Amino acid sequence: MVNKKVRSAKKHVNLTLSQSILTQLRVIYALIMRETLTRYGRENIGFLWVVGEPILFCGGVTIMWTLVRPSHEHGLRMTAMVVTGYVPLVLFRHAVVRSTKAYAVNSSLLYHRLVTPLDIITARITLEVIGVMMAAILVLCGAVSLGYMELPEDWALTLSGFGFVVFFTYGISFIFSYLTERSDLLEKTVSVLTYLALPWTGAFVMIDWIPPKYRWVLEYTSPIANGIEMMRSGFFGSKVVPHYSICFMTYTSLLTFMVGVYLCLRVRPHIELS
Amino acid sequence: MSRLICQDLSKAYHVGKKRRLILDRVNLEVNYGDRLGILGRNGAGKSTLIKMIGGIEKPTSGTIHYGMTVSWPLAFGGAFQGSLSGHDNLRFICRVYHLDYEETLDYVQGFAQLGRQFYDPVKTYSSGMHARLAFSLSLAIEFDCYLIDEVIMVGDARFAQRCEDELFAKRADRTLLIVSHNTDFIKHTCNRAALIHDKKVFLSSSVDEGIEKYYSL
Repeated sequence: MVNKKVRSAKKHVNLTLSQSILTQLRVIYALIMRETLTRYGRENIGFLWVVGEPILFCGGVTIMWTLVRPSHEHGLRMTAMVVTGYVPLVLFRHAVVRSTKAYAVNSSLLYHRLVTPLDIITARITLEVIGVMMAAILVLCGAVSLGYMELPEDWALTLSGFGFVVFFTYGISFIFSYLTERSDLLEKTVSVLTYLALPWTGAFVMIDWIPPKYRWVLEYTSPIANGIEMMRSGFFGSKVVPHYSICFMTYTSLLTFMVGVYLCLRVRPHIELS
Repeated sequence: MSRLICQDLSKAYHVGKKRRLILDRVNLEVNYGDRLGILGRNGAGKSTLIKMIGGIEKPTSGTIHYGMTVSWPLAFGGAFQGSLSGHDNLRFICRVYHLDYEETLDYVQGFAQLGRQFYDPVKTYSSGMHARLAFSLSLAIEFDCYLIDEVIMVGDARFAQRCEDELFAKRADRTLLIVSHNTDFIKHTCNRAALIHDKKVFLSSSVDEGIEKYYSL
C-alpha cells in the first residue's frame, strides 16, 4: 500500500490492479463514514440511527403483528414469520429508495477523481445493509429472549438466504440509481413501485400457501421471494415446504448485478451537477 | 516533457430540448510549469473548461491527455459537503487520498486559520473562509497542476500573503490554470494567457496581448 506520509497525488496514478482495488475499498469506506455523518449528524444518538431507523421499522411491525394477528399461521409462529419477512423487505425497500438520485445529491463528491459513481452507490447500499443487519440481530435477540420466537434451526441456510437477498438488492439498487438519474418520472414513482412490489417480494407468505396455479409468480420471477423462502426454510426446518432454487437466485442476482455495474460505469455523463 | 493536452474538446449542454454548444473543438496545450491565465466574458465557458480538465464534467467529444496530476477545481461550491464541518471534510479527504490525518490537520489549521469555525458546517462559512479551506485542503495534496476558478480573489491580505508563500513561492514549479476577471492579478501571476470567446480558445503570445484582446471584446 502506498505510504500515508507521501503527499504527492502521483501515488494514485498508474496503480496495479490490487492497488486499485484497495484504493476503491478505501474510498468506499470514506464514503460510508461521510454518509453516516451527513445523514444522521452528531445530534442526539447520531450514527446509531443507522440501526435505529430499521429497528423502528422491523421492531414496530413485529410488535404490531404479534399483537393483532393470531400467534400461529399455518402452524408457524407469527413473530418469526414477520421477522424473516420484514428484515429482507426493509433492506430491499430502503436500498431502492436510497438509490434514487443518489448521484445528483452527491455530485460534490465527484470533484474527487478517485470517487466513482459505483463507489457512491456501493457505500450507500452497504450502509443500509449494515444497519438492517444490526437491527435484525437486535430484533432477533429481543424476540427470542422474550420467548416469541426460536432461533433458526439451520443458521447456514438462513444466512445464505439473506445473502442472496443482499446480493440481489445491490444489483437492483445499482440499476435504479442509473434509471432514476435518467428519468424524473421513475424517480417520482419509486416509492409507489416499491409499495406495489410488496406482494412480489413474498415477505408475507410462504409460496406453499398459495394455490399451485399461481406459485410460479414468486417461484420463477422473484429472487427476493426465493431468498426469503430459503431463509424460512433454515428458520423453521422441517415445519415448512420451501420452494426456492439456488440456481435461479444465482443467475438472476448475478445478471442483475452485472447489468447494474455496467450501468453505474456509464452513468457519469448523465449526472446533473449542481 | 510532461504536458496536459486537450484535443478537439467540445461540450454541449441540453437545456430542455435545446442543445447548447459551449465549447467547440477546442485545443489547448499546457506545459509543466506554465501559469496560464484564462480570460473570457461571463458564460464563455471558462468554468466548463476547468471542470472538464478537472475530470468533473465529461467532454461531449474530444480527449484530454494527462501528462501530470491535476487537482480538483478550486471554486465556490463544489468539492465540499455544505452540511459537514471543515474538519469532517478534511477527514474525508484524508481517507480518500490516503493522507496522514494529524499531519494534514496541522497543515490545514496552520494555513486556513479558521479557528473554532473549522468545526462548524461549511455552509456557514463566508466566501473568504471557504476559499481558505479549499486552498489549504488542496495544497495538502501535492498536485502537479492546480485549477483555480476565481476563488483566489476573495481572500483578505493575510490569506493573499499565504497564497503567495505556499503556492507562488514554495510551489513555483507547479502548473497553474487560473480563471479570473482580475487582469492585474493575471498580469502579475501568469506567464501565458488564453482567451475564451465564441466557443473557441485563443492562446496569446504574451499575457499583455491576451489582456488587450480581452478588453477589446
